[in-house]
Amino acid sequence: MTHLMRAFGAFMRVGIGTMLQYRGEILLWAIWGLVNPAVLYALWSAAAQTHENGEVAGYGRGEFGAYFFMMMVVGHLTTAWDTYEMGYLIRSGTMSPKLLRPILPIWEALASNLSYKLVTLVFVVPMWILFALIVRPTFDGNAWQVALGTISVLLAGAMNFVLGYCVALIAFWSPKLDATGEVFFGVGMFFGGRFSPLAALPPLLGSIAALLPFRWMFAFPADLTIGRIDSLTEALAGLAMQTAWLVLGIIGFRLLWSAAVKRYTAVSG
Amino acid sequence: MSVQNLAAYRFDLFVRTIMSFVHISAELVGIWTIFHNTTNIRGWTAWHFLVLAGVYRMVAGGIRMFIVPNVRKLMEDIRNGTLDFVLLKPVNAQFLVSIREFVVWRLTDVLLGLAVSLYGCWRLTHTIPFQTVGVFFVMMIAACIILYSLWLCLGTLCFWFVRIDNIEMVFWNVFEAGRYPIVIYPQKVQTLLTFIIPLAFITTIPAEKLIGDANTLTLGPSAPFIAFGVAAISLIGATWFFNFGIRRYSGASA
Repeated sequence: MTHLMRAFGAFMRVGIGTMLQYRGEILLWAIWGLVNPAVLYALWSAAAQTHENGEVAGYGRGEFGAYFFMMMVVGHLTTAWDTYEMGYLIRSGTMSPKLLRPILPIWEALASNLSYKLVTLVFVVPMWILFALIVRPTFDGNAWQVALGTISVLLAGAMNFVLGYCVALIAFWSPKLDATGEVFFGVGMFFGGRFSPLAALPPLLGSIAALLPFRWMFAFPADLTIGRIDSLTEALAGLAMQTAWLVLGIIGFRLLWSAAVKRYTAVSG
Repeated sequence: MSVQNLAAYRFDLFVRTIMSFVHISAELVGIWTIFHNTTNIRGWTAWHFLVLAGVYRMVAGGIRMFIVPNVRKLMEDIRNGTLDFVLLKPVNAQFLVSIREFVVWRLTDVLLGLAVSLYGCWRLTHTIPFQTVGVFFVMMIAACIILYSLWLCLGTLCFWFVRIDNIEMVFWNVFEAGRYPIVIYPQKVQTLLTFIIPLAFITTIPAEKLIGDANTLTLGPSAPFIAFGVAAISLIGATWFFNFGIRRYSGASA
C-alpha cells in the first residue's frame, strides 16, 4: 500500500508540473466549462420570462442562475477525458510502457485528472464568483444541504472518472472508436441535467434519465446544493445511489481491465 | 488526394457519418426540450430555432472542412519551423496556407445543416422563396469571409503563443454562444456579439435572413451591407495581422 502511495505521490508531482507547464492550453479547455452553462442560463432564463409566473419546470430566473452556477462547479469537478484519450494511447503505443509498470495505468490517469482540477481552480473559482455577482442566483440551500451537496459533488467526480474509464476501455477492442467519448459526453449532457434541469425534459427523456447514472453525476449534486431537495431521506438516498454506481463502476473496471489487458497482449503479441 | 486517402478508410467514414447524424440529433433533442417548456422565446419559435440550428451546423461543418485543416497546418508549421518551406515558394504565403488542405467528409455536416434549415424554413412559410435563399447565400459569403479572418488571426497568434496547441478553443468557446439566437442575451451582450466579436453575423443574422420574418430581424434590411462592411474590415485586419506575424517569424534556424 505504501508503494502505491509513493508512486501516486510521484504521479501527482509530475501531473501538477505538467499542468503548470501547459497552463495556457488547460485554461482554454476550462473556459468551455464556463461558457456552456452561461449560455444555457441565458437561454433558460429567457424561456422562463415567457411565462407569467416567470418559471419553467419550477425554476425561475434566480433558480436557473443557481442551477447553472452549480453546473459550472460540478461540470468542472467531474471533468474526465480518458474516453477521448484511451484510443490515442493505444494506437500510438504509449500504453505499452504503462502496462509494463507494476502499477495500474488508471492511477496515473487519476493523478493527471486531479492535477488538472487543482491547477485550474485558481482560475475558475474567481470566474464562478464573477458569474454569481453578475447573475445574482437564488441559493436556497441550508447548512446540511450544502454539506451533503459538497460530498455528493466529490462522489460525482469519482463516478464520472471511474465510469468514464470503463467506457474508455472499449478502445482496447476498437481503438478507432474515438466517438465513444463524444457520445458518452453528449448523453451525459441531456440525461444528466447539464442542458436543462431534469424537470424540464419531455417525459420520455425524463424516464430514460431516471435509469441512467448521469443524473447522479450532475443534476443530483446541483439540485441538492442549491436547496431543491428538501427531505434528508431523499438526499441520503441520492448519496447512496451515487455510491452504488461508483462501486458498480469499480467492479466493472476490475472485470473489464483483465479482459482488456488479455486482448492487448493477444493482439500486439 | 484528400478523397483518395479517405476512401481507404471506409469504416472511419461510416462512423464519422453516423456521428454527423448524432450531432444534429443532439441539437434537435435540445430544441425539443426547450419547446416542451415554452412556445416562443422573444419572437423565435421552434421552427426559427431549427433554422438557426441548421445554419450553426452548416457553419461548423464548413469551418471544419476548409478552414480548420489549413489553420492547424499553419500552426504546426510555425511550431516545427517548416513554415520556411511555404515562405520560400513563389506563391503568396497567405494564399498558400489558406488553401492547402481540405477535409471532404465534413460535407455531411454542411448538407445535414442545410437540410434542417430548409425544412425549418418550409415549415414557417410553406414555401422556400428564392429571393430569401439568395439573400441567405449572400450573408453566408460575408460570414465565410469573417470566419476566415477570425481563424487567420488565431493561426497568426501562434507566432507568439507557440506552445499553445489548442488556440482554436478560443474560437469554439465563443462560437458556443452562437448556438442560440443572440436575442436571449441582454442588450449589451448582443451589441458585443454583433460588432466587437462578429458572432451574430456568422449565426443569428444569416438564419434570420432565411426566415425572412420581419418580427425577428436584428438589423433590418441593411444587414447585408453591414455584414459586408464587417467582412471587409475583418479581412483587411486579418491580412495585415498575418503579414505582421510573418515579419516577426524567425524560422527554423533561429
